[in-house]
Amino acid sequence: MKNRFILSVLVLLLAPVFFVLASPQPEATGPVKLTIAGRDGVYGNAMQYATDEYTKGHPDVTFDVLKLPYNSQYEKVVIDMKSGTGSYDLIMIDDPNAPQFQKAGWLASLDGMLKSKGETLDPDFISAAVKLGRYPYADSGTLYALPHVGNVEMFAYRTDLFDKYGLAKPATWDDVLADAQKLKQMDPNVTPVGFRGVKGNPIVSGFLPIFWAFGANVLENNKATVDSPQALAALQYFLKLKAYAPQAVDTWNSAQVRDALYGGRLAMVTEVWPSWVGDLNNPDKSQVVGKVMVTAHPRETAPSSPVIGAWLLGIPKASKNQSAAFDFLMYVTGKDMQIQLADQFGIAPSRKSAFQDPGLLKKYPWFPGQEAALENARARARTNKWPEIETTFGTYLQLALIGQMSAQDALKTANEKIQEIIQ
Amino acid sequence: MIKRRTMLKYIVKNRFYYAILFPAFAVVVFLTVYPVVQVVANSFYKYNFLSDERLFIGFKNFSSIISDDIFQTSFVNTIIFSFVGTLLEVGLGFALALLFYGKFFGRRPAMIIVIFPMMVSTMVVCSVWRTLYQFDIGLLNYLLKAAGLGPVGWLNNPHLALFSVILVDIWQWTPFAFIVLQAGLLSIQREVFEAASIDGAGYFRTVFSVTVPILWSQIVLVVLLRTIDTFRVFSKVYALTGGGPGNSTETVSFFIYREGFVYFNLGRASTASMYTLVVIALIAVVYIRQIMKEGDV
Repeated sequence: MKNRFILSVLVLLLAPVFFVLASPQPEATGPVKLTIAGRDGVYGNAMQYATDEYTKGHPDVTFDVLKLPYNSQYEKVVIDMKSGTGSYDLIMIDDPNAPQFQKAGWLASLDGMLKSKGETLDPDFISAAVKLGRYPYADSGTLYALPHVGNVEMFAYRTDLFDKYGLAKPATWDDVLADAQKLKQMDPNVTPVGFRGVKGNPIVSGFLPIFWAFGANVLENNKATVDSPQALAALQYFLKLKAYAPQAVDTWNSAQVRDALYGGRLAMVTEVWPSWVGDLNNPDKSQVVGKVMVTAHPRETAPSSPVIGAWLLGIPKASKNQSAAFDFLMYVTGKDMQIQLADQFGIAPSRKSAFQDPGLLKKYPWFPGQEAALENARARARTNKWPEIETTFGTYLQLALIGQMSAQDALKTANEKIQEIIQ
Repeated sequence: MIKRRTMLKYIVKNRFYYAILFPAFAVVVFLTVYPVVQVVANSFYKYNFLSDERLFIGFKNFSSIISDDIFQTSFVNTIIFSFVGTLLEVGLGFALALLFYGKFFGRRPAMIIVIFPMMVSTMVVCSVWRTLYQFDIGLLNYLLKAAGLGPVGWLNNPHLALFSVILVDIWQWTPFAFIVLQAGLLSIQREVFEAASIDGAGYFRTVFSVTVPILWSQIVLVVLLRTIDTFRVFSKVYALTGGGPGNSTETVSFFIYREGFVYFNLGRASTASMYTLVVIALIAVVYIRQIMKEGDV
């Protein structure tokens, strides 16, 4: 009897505590601090600028912007998402990794937030970039992230050298090879072509526009197809092109490509991203002001296939400040901020209006081409196994590039391994 | 039975000390034993951290990893790295200890310069060496070109890249071997060397017949510590080559990192860790046996 009494008293005392803990936590009102898991370098500087500007207009919202290297950012975000601790209120996601986050249900639906605020998604966003934030990957998929950086891979060539030696803009990859041969004979001071050769993501990103233009695919109907005749033709072409690239191209990453392009040491670059070329016409940083054209990739047996590489911004489901995070997300992907970030940091916009801004068009004359490339860009395979597929493919591509495997053997082994991964 | 009862009595008698030791012991168990048990358990599962897929597959991870060509290359590279790195670090460290045993002008500043690399963060060391190794504008190739020789692909030649990474490790960790061996050398009475000299032993005879046997336990200690450390090499590979070109600088730690933190295949990463654990445990056993042998003397 006595025990029952004590138990009843305890239940009565603890019940309010239980209800408080069990009831959904209301969002914090008053000052809010948003934590953003962002990238380092120019992306980090741009995000810092955007947050500083936002705080000026919203003094009750402050930010902690984490500027992390690529691998570290991915690891930290994945571990936090999985544990559901809600350490971050906004996360930057490289688009090939988006399916992992979307499939796992780690991100809050933006459709619901738009609806609750009585808004709809602005049609000014370029649809190819928005689609990356949807799951399933379709125009009708649920929206989980918005494109903060509308990156698309492009091709660059030196107009002054092409004019000097009477060469036309390369329309096909065969033209690129022929031009590289001519440039090597005509100008010993310039390296005909450059690209990223580091294994993993860099070499795959650089190779994909060639691979796709030769009609090859990484996956078809959930089967690995990197050993197809088209893939072999693409890799054999890539190896031929290597003869006209710098000797140490196997160790070249974005910094080396960018430095060589800005320093006027390359005649063609098969892979440039908008953030690499932001200062191309800045005389303080570039020796080739007005001498480089950035354009869509050449075609081959298939049409030109620019690779989309957008950076998305999503709100983790576990974030305790979803409403404030959503407001900032709309601000940072808004037209005005997109124009400012493009102007000051060279960040690629994801809105049509930003591409058509007169000031930006003057500064970046290749913007119409970039916008067209982004509209028609092709996404990497939408699978949550992409990081593993890419690393495997990139390893064997490089083994072929450095001559440790024949093109045929490299593709055959890569195909077997990729098939194992997707099974 | 009697032994157990005596032990129990001993514990009861000293229960206060055991009680105050318990929290620290519990923390140690939680931080060391628990992760190891978890790794052992995970190694028997097909376990993906992202998808939460966790399927018991017995020894399948062990067989698939051992037959994985990248793991095989990583393992061989790790053995080469560990063997060459340790041998040269200890050899050079010993040579430096002998050199600094004598007195010469500028000995103190020279010693500071020699031990400096060990005090610098590995990432800084790698940044410096990456610049030195740069094919087009690196200092090493600049000097080679100035000497009329062709440039060398320090990090992009698959036959050379691993040794370039080993060289950085040697540069950074030879001072460690030097410091330990020099401390041992300084603890030897000078009279021992004088006696050897009176007996007619030359310099090299004294080194190999007197110094090395006396310093043997320190040499073994340094060899084992450096072997264990080099066997786990990760940061230098990560910062200098990323495992490339091809798989020429892949190491077991890098393989584990990629499986665990890029693919989040915790089952395979745990299995690869188990292989590493076995090798390091074997090295540790050798060391413990050596220490115990010294204790018996």
